[in-house]
Amino acid sequence: MADTPIPLEVRNIKKRFGDTEVLKGLSLTARKGDVITLIGASGSGKSTFLRCMNLLEQPDEGDLIVHGEEIRFKQTRYGREPADWKQVVRMRAKLSMVFQSFNLWAHMTLLENIIEAPVHVLGKPKKEAIEHARALLERVGLTARADAYPAQMSGGQQQRGAIARALAMDPEVMLFDEPTSALDPELVGDVLKVMHGLADEGRTMVVVTHEMSFARDVSSEVIYLHQGLVEEAGPPQDVLANPQSPRLQQFLAPKY
Amino acid sequence: MEILAWFHELLDGNLIFTPQTLGYYWDGLVVTVQLVFVSLLIGLVLAVPLAIGRSSGRRWISLPIYAYTYVFRGTPLLIQLYIIYYGVVFFDGIQETFLWPLLREAFYPALIAFTLNTAAYTTEIFRGAIKATPKGEIEAARAYGMSQALMMRRIILPSAFRRALPAYGNEVIFMLHASAIASVVTLMDLTGAARFVYARFYAPFEAFIFVAVIYLCLTFTILFFFRYLEKRLLAHLRPQS
Repeated sequence: MADTPIPLEVRNIKKRFGDTEVLKGLSLTARKGDVITLIGASGSGKSTFLRCMNLLEQPDEGDLIVHGEEIRFKQTRYGREPADWKQVVRMRAKLSMVFQSFNLWAHMTLLENIIEAPVHVLGKPKKEAIEHARALLERVGLTARADAYPAQMSGGQQQRGAIARALAMDPEVMLFDEPTSALDPELVGDVLKVMHGLADEGRTMVVVTHEMSFARDVSSEVIYLHQGLVEEAGPPQDVLANPQSPRLQQFLAPKY
Repeated sequence: MEILAWFHELLDGNLIFTPQTLGYYWDGLVVTVQLVFVSLLIGLVLAVPLAIGRSSGRRWISLPIYAYTYVFRGTPLLIQLYIIYYGVVFFDGIQETFLWPLLREAFYPALIAFTLNTAAYTTEIFRGAIKATPKGEIEAARAYGMSQALMMRRIILPSAFRRALPAYGNEVIFMLHASAIASVVTLMDLTGAARFVYARFYAPFEAFIFVAVIYLCLTFTILFFFRYLEKRLLAHLRPQS
């Protein structure tokens, strides 16, 4: 496996909004099969960091290497921008994202949502895409909802549908942005179960989450962020079971 | 044939609604429907690119379009019709061009005025709908590798058209009713026919109530058409039955 390129490598990402520096130089390497969880208090920059990985936010500094291909940037009057948007489009197709608020396209049925990007971005034949989509729907337990619109589904169903949409791209890396934070507690389990399954089959994932049990059971690496910097990182048995920094100890302590 | 005979009998004793005046109304109906339908169609085709331009972040694109919609929404349609109908003569040499036989008629200046007017309103309706596209859906489209053009075609426009449908249905009805003013530039549309019948028989109630009923029928047809469209295209907003 030594000669397959690393799916995702980010180096020294810095990002500021106005006068506030939210990311102060963050790096991460996701090798094949890695499940990296980013944890931290709100405002620590974990979501922004994740959004820099597929350039939904433009990092002010730092490198981004997707599947061995380095993204080129140029400096413009408005700040740093990708030099070649075609390259960005190509790179985004390799990283699919699952959002906190699902963000399914409301005017399409679930099945249409799933085949949309494979057909129109990757150029996959429609028939093949539909077959693949049906298999994915079965996998996330939504076979019966293929023709439902997002507004007709529960949050948990929408999120599982969104995961199926992400899987349909055959992504190199899946990015999860707090996938369970907008869900009712009783719906969280179904989504986590699907994510567990993905980790077990060796998917490369970067997950921003507040679900400590997920981080503990599934991830190969946990990164604790504090104010735009890595405070502590390592395998979960070290970071979560035996935290060194007082801040992380406090973060992990039972709240009540 | 039975019906025709019954119809003739009904008309026999009637001084106002003779086959001749009914013919005027029929011709007026044809003119009104043509005028409204064609101007709406061209206006719609113009409005889509204009609305995209109007939503653009580049001011040199969006500002001229804003100026256009502002002028045409900010002035009465009747004034626009006057300016185009009476003003077109003053373009030097227009009487020698191939356009003159068209522009000399009342129909084409009216068509131009109506088209420009409805295009302005429709542009603003669509722009509002485009602007209201949920941010998350746009973000998802970007995250899944869609280019700006693909995202516009597959996500933003289909979603915006559906949102714009009820407002656009109102615009269609508004245009139908506004078309009544075409009669002031000598066009024999439905209202023109009614005015003619009124003037000849001095029978305002018969002449105008009859035409009002025809407008009502047209309006209901439009309403039902849009209700059908909304039922089909806005299915995603309804809870599942």
